[in-house]
Amino acid sequence: MNKILEVHRLNRSYGNFSLKDISFSIPEDCITGFIGVNGAGKTTTLNSILGLIKRESGNIKLFGLDMQTHEKEIKNRIGVVFDDSCFYDELSMSEMKDIIAPAYTSWCEDDYKGYMRRFSLNPKQKINTLSKGMRMKYALALALSHKAELLIMDEPTSGLDPLIRSQLLEILTDYMKEGGKGVFFSTHITSDLDKIADMLIMIDHGKIVLQEERDTLLDNYRIVKGDTRKLKSEIKNLFLSIDTTDFGFTGISNQISEIQSHVPDIVIERATIEDIMLAHIKGGE
Amino acid sequence: MLLHLIKKDFLIAKKYLLIMLLISVFIPIFVIWYVPELGAEIGFVLSVIFTVFMILQQVSIKEYQYPKVSALLCSAPYPRKFLVLSKYGFCIGIYFLCSLIYLIEITLFPMYGKLSINLVLGMFLILSVFIGVFLPIQFKYGYAKTKFIFMIVIMTSPILFPQLIKLDKGLSLNIVNTISPVFLYVIVALISISILMISALISIKIFEDKDLA
Repeated sequence: MNKILEVHRLNRSYGNFSLKDISFSIPEDCITGFIGVNGAGKTTTLNSILGLIKRESGNIKLFGLDMQTHEKEIKNRIGVVFDDSCFYDELSMSEMKDIIAPAYTSWCEDDYKGYMRRFSLNPKQKINTLSKGMRMKYALALALSHKAELLIMDEPTSGLDPLIRSQLLEILTDYMKEGGKGVFFSTHITSDLDKIADMLIMIDHGKIVLQEERDTLLDNYRIVKGDTRKLKSEIKNLFLSIDTTDFGFTGISNQISEIQSHVPDIVIERATIEDIMLAHIKGGE
Repeated sequence: MLLHLIKKDFLIAKKYLLIMLLISVFIPIFVIWYVPELGAEIGFVLSVIFTVFMILQQVSIKEYQYPKVSALLCSAPYPRKFLVLSKYGFCIGIYFLCSLIYLIEITLFPMYGKLSINLVLGMFLILSVFIGVFLPIQFKYGYAKTKFIFMIVIMTSPILFPQLIKLDKGLSLNIVNTISPVFLYVIVALISISILMISALISIKIFEDKDLA
């Protein structure tokens, strides 16, 4: 599979926060979730990729092209969705579109009208009268109307109700069906990723802590519960994170068979992405 | 692309634009009526400065209110330098609108004065100095830290410009009259364009290094 986005040793410091040697890549035909708690560095990474903030070092390639030397060409091929406050509220959707559209050489008015119809958006309506969900759909209509090959979204589902979130995920799935596309979106709502993500990248304290296919990740990690009295220190080391009480322990691990060989009477449950994310964060502390 | 970004500034200031252009109609009339000794030229100068700065302030307020729009525009294929150049284009556009309004006024009411090349180029030079100094400062420090400059310009220009005109009249007897008018026009135009170009280059450098998130 071709790599649609490659980030290599990206560094950027802000006061007491820094991105440290961020490296990852995203293959074509994949929906990639970029997860991490608030303040982990998701938005800073996305902004660095888009050239909105200056990086101190590192290389960023999209579609095999260097962002520094092919910025215009690359930006013509990506669609960007920020959270809801990236439009002038007093303008109508049509006026805002007239500002954005001329930037793209491959802007397709028919696609735009099609998305506006599909999302039941009236182009003459003022942006300040739109609900959060409608704004998100409008942002998607703008991002998808210039034949974008990669969609980059920063917390697109944040603050949306479950129905709108599920519609958004449907739109992304439809977009991917066209083939040769990619979606890279940051979120801290991991339940959305359980449904659609193919690949997961996790960032914590400005460092990439894992990059793995979702199914592999979910297959490898398990929640393990058992009796605290049988928990010896060498077994504790097999866990990514572990909580203990007088009544028992609950931990997350990817070394289940080894734990089972030491403590046979344990309860094993499937972990969610959120469980794994939190375990990585707790384990790193 | 550049024209669309200039149009964007007109769009976001559209409510205010009409009011300010109306005010620019009345400033020269007011000056002629209230302080006729200053002449209609001062009315024109004040109307341009007031209109350009007040509308520019309105655009700056909107951009301050919605900072992520700049991020969205720069994540589209708009080069950052176009966002800077559009501000200069926008100010010059307002200047042309004010000149057009003044031209219509003096055509309808010839007793208010005339729109000479001296006045058009002199005003262009004044505007070039004002926005040439102001815009790089605003790109560097943002609207919140520079809004007081608006106030200073608006408050002092009714006092400053009559004094400058008097000074100009005094100097013109000694220096300007010795130079061929065409040569003088070319010099003034070149100085104005140079100021704007140097200022734009500084602003571009500032904005290129700015974090937009």
